[in-house]
Amino acid sequence: MFTLKTPPLRTRLLAWFLLSVLGLAVVAFMSVTVAKDLRLLNSASSDNVQWTLSQAEVEFLEYELHLARAIQDPAPHLRDLRREFDIFYSRVATLRESSIYETLRRQEDFSTNLDKIHAFLLGTVPAIDGSDADLIEGLPHLFEQARDIRSTVRRLSISGLTHFAAESDQRRTKIAVTLMQMAAVVSILLLALLLLALYLNRLNIQNIRRRSQVVEANKRMKIVTGTALDAVVVSDATGRVLDFNAAAEQIFGYTTEEAIGRDLADLIVPDHFRAAHEAGLKRMRESGEKRVVGKGRVKLEAKRADGQLFPVELAIQSAQTDDGERFIAFLRDISHLVKAEAELVAARDRALAGEKAKTDFLATMSHEIRTPLNGLLGNLSLLRETRLSPKQARYIKNMDTSGKLLMGHISDVLDITKYDAGKLRLRPVEMNISTLLQDIIDNQSGAASANDTTLQWGWVDAPLTWIRADRDRIQHILMNLIGNAVKFTHGGSVRVTAQVDRDAPEGPQLLVTVRDTGIGIDADQIDRIFDDFMTGDSSYDRDVGGTGLGLGIAKRFVTALGGTIEVDSEKGTGSTFRIRLPVEPIAAPAQAAGHETGGEAGRPKHVLLVEDNEINRVLAREMLTAAGHRVTEAPNGRVAVDLAEQQHFDVILMDISMPVLDGRGATREIRAGTGPSAQSPIIAVTANAMAEEKQAFLSDGMTDILTKPLTREGLLKAVSDQAAPAPAETEAVADLVDRATLDEMRDTLGAEAQTALLGRFVTEVDRTLSELSDADPQDLTETAAQAHKTAGSAGVMGAAKLRAALVAVENAAKRADHAGTKTAIKALPAIWAATLPILQVQGDRDDS
Amino acid sequence: MYRVLCHVAAVVALSAAPLRAGELAAPEGDVILTVTGAITTTNDGDSARFDLGMLEALEDRSIETATIWTEGTKLFQGVSLSTLVDTLGIEGDRLRATAINDYTVEIPLSDAVEGGPMIAYRMDGEVMSVRNKGPLWIVYPYDGNSDYRTEVIYSRSIWQLDRIEAVE
Repeated sequence: MFTLKTPPLRTRLLAWFLLSVLGLAVVAFMSVTVAKDLRLLNSASSDNVQWTLSQAEVEFLEYELHLARAIQDPAPHLRDLRREFDIFYSRVATLRESSIYETLRRQEDFSTNLDKIHAFLLGTVPAIDGSDADLIEGLPHLFEQARDIRSTVRRLSISGLTHFAAESDQRRTKIAVTLMQMAAVVSILLLALLLLALYLNRLNIQNIRRRSQVVEANKRMKIVTGTALDAVVVSDATGRVLDFNAAAEQIFGYTTEEAIGRDLADLIVPDHFRAAHEAGLKRMRESGEKRVVGKGRVKLEAKRADGQLFPVELAIQSAQTDDGERFIAFLRDISHLVKAEAELVAARDRALAGEKAKTDFLATMSHEIRTPLNGLLGNLSLLRETRLSPKQARYIKNMDTSGKLLMGHISDVLDITKYDAGKLRLRPVEMNISTLLQDIIDNQSGAASANDTTLQWGWVDAPLTWIRADRDRIQHILMNLIGNAVKFTHGGSVRVTAQVDRDAPEGPQLLVTVRDTGIGIDADQIDRIFDDFMTGDSSYDRDVGGTGLGLGIAKRFVTALGGTIEVDSEKGTGSTFRIRLPVEPIAAPAQAAGHETGGEAGRPKHVLLVEDNEINRVLAREMLTAAGHRVTEAPNGRVAVDLAEQQHFDVILMDISMPVLDGRGATREIRAGTGPSAQSPIIAVTANAMAEEKQAFLSDGMTDILTKPLTREGLLKAVSDQAAPAPAETEAVADLVDRATLDEMRDTLGAEAQTALLGRFVTEVDRTLSELSDADPQDLTETAAQAHKTAGSAGVMGAAKLRAALVAVENAAKRADHAGTKTAIKALPAIWAATLPILQVQGDRDDS
Repeated sequence: MYRVLCHVAAVVALSAAPLRAGELAAPEGDVILTVTGAITTTNDGDSARFDLGMLEALEDRSIETATIWTEGTKLFQGVSLSTLVDTLGIEGDRLRATAINDYTVEIPLSDAVEGGPMIAYRMDGEVMSVRNKGPLWIVYPYDGNSDYRTEVIYSRSIWQLDRIEAVE
């Protein structure tokens, strides 16, 4: 099925028009031809001519008659004779000269006869023009001549008539042909007209059909706009309303009759938009620039009939019609939407505010709990160094354990809060992943063997030892996973494997798998085990305990490190946790790499301790004085400023929130003053230091920032850091202390526990040294036992040289070598004196 | 307008000469034209008779034109038919013109207009003989007006004219 492509209507009509004009022209031309022919036919010319021809004969006969009469008449009327001759002569002259007879004269027959007659006339003229007597004399001769020429005149007449008859026939035939042609052309024209009529009829039918289609479409359009829920308002370029649908009536409160013909601006444009509306219309009329038309939905205000303003969503489209440009506006009343949106925004804001308040509360509470708890633990460790009964020592140990557990829980909550508030910051350091894994396995091996479980670890493929990563976080994650595996496995095995994927597109990846043969996880719980406060079997909880935050934190840390964690588990068979972390492999650091710990740590300093909380102040003071520093205390900023005015301090430790004058104010005053301590380093001590606050502290003139709760290491390091740059660790130092052991202990127990332990250790060593030096040289068994016990402690604390020296004492004592024992004991105080400062500042390499 | 002026001039001329109404000088030479019928000015009973001199005395006029009966362009001189009508006070609606051989045509009086036909008495300055369609020939300005190049007009162009009768 295909249709011929028809030329446009206009072209077709033009073709018809030209054809008609051509037809009419042909008809007109032929009509003229016919008219001319008819006129020729109609004219008397031929008749006249024929009459003239016959008249020639008649006039000749008149002449001959007069001639005959004149012969018989004795007194002839010569005048009449002459006149008749003249008349005939004139007639012949006319035949010879007149253009009418030109065609006739071309007939040989006619012209021969005419010439003969003319010759006759010329021959007769002398006689006619002669005297009357001569004429009378010559009459018989003239008569004879005339009789001779008569037949010629007759033939002349007849030949003319024959010619004209033939010519007339010809003309008639020509006219007949022309008429036939004209009839043909007229027929063709009529046919063309008929076709045109048919064509016009077809056009008309088409137009009627189209019109009904348009009417139908219009009706449908009316129905569509009439039933539309959006207001549809049509206007012309001047803003005059042309159409106003039912929804518009409802929204704006005008009836269609009221609205049509009125100015859009008066009707629905709010007064404060009136100027902009009119400027827009003007701009559009003048430059055709459209800012709203065809640009999609915009939100504006509109006005109802009662003057009420309400928000609308508006879209305007334009259309070109024969009557000029039309604008079709679609308006939707969005009052309820706007209201709902505002309510939603308010609800969201409230929820966000609530969430923030909760986070703030959690953070604050964690800090608030941690600070006194820290004081409690610190004082516990101080208390343990006093003389205690074994029972008291056990109670204190129990309190210490509980306190540390509590501290761990609070740290967990704080970690989660920090992470969720987006404040968790990574602290990448150089670390040995093998060492870390080994330490954790060692740490957990006790618990594993208690559960009758084997615990192993190893590398798959080539090991990767040194990396740069956030050691603490990785340790936390691994500790949690391995700890959990050990916790939930009884009489089974826990296997930890590490593997490096060096070819991953996103860079080297560390994969650690922790596979146990423990109790497994319920299939319906496996999706929730990384949720907060998620604990396993409740009956088991009592056995293993836990806040249910461990895996939640692990997952947060893994995510923060850019890695993934996943789990496979089967109830009763065991679980497998896999973590995948991006790592940055580094070369193993040189063994001689310097430590930041200051060799001057032991050099006593005069410290101004500004702190309003008495427990904290006492704790800090104890820590500082224990390290040999001299401490002056100030309960608030005002006192501190006064003291700093009067004397020089090597370091000022400044709490931030204090009564009377806070730490920042005090710092600014000290720095502004000219006292002896105006240039002394000031270390901010704060419980909630956010990055932006730190910046503010530094701009106040503070030198460094310490975060509460204070640790011994942190505190001492901060104080010693304010001294001259630390010298590189010497070989001697490396001999004195087994740094790996210290690191391991700190990683396992945490810096605070280590500090407490160190305190105990210092006490123990001091006591042992004094007891050994005072001991009865004969009681070598007691000496060996004392030395053995303290050597064990020294081994745990990483005091390698002290341990070796104590082992030497023990061995000498066991051999009952009195002299050797005495020598060995004598060496102890010097070693201890060298070891203690190193131990005190140990572990400060990492930010605690 | 011109015609009206002529009319007035004729009237003035007639009133100046205290001739009896309808009086015309008598012909002295051969009479070449006799006008009868509804005329008001006569010189012989009910008719007006003209010799060449009398016609030449009337206001003359020239037409240069070709005719279908002659060769080439001819200069005709004579009296305008309208002048004759005015001179003789011809009434009626047509003129019946007759030739020497009694050939007769009827000329509507409406033809007698200014610039219309005239009664020619000279062709190319020569008096016309009977042999040369004389002595009088009603000539229309054929070349000047296509309306005068029709068969009817040609039929009215009577030569060898010698009588005119004004018919009511």
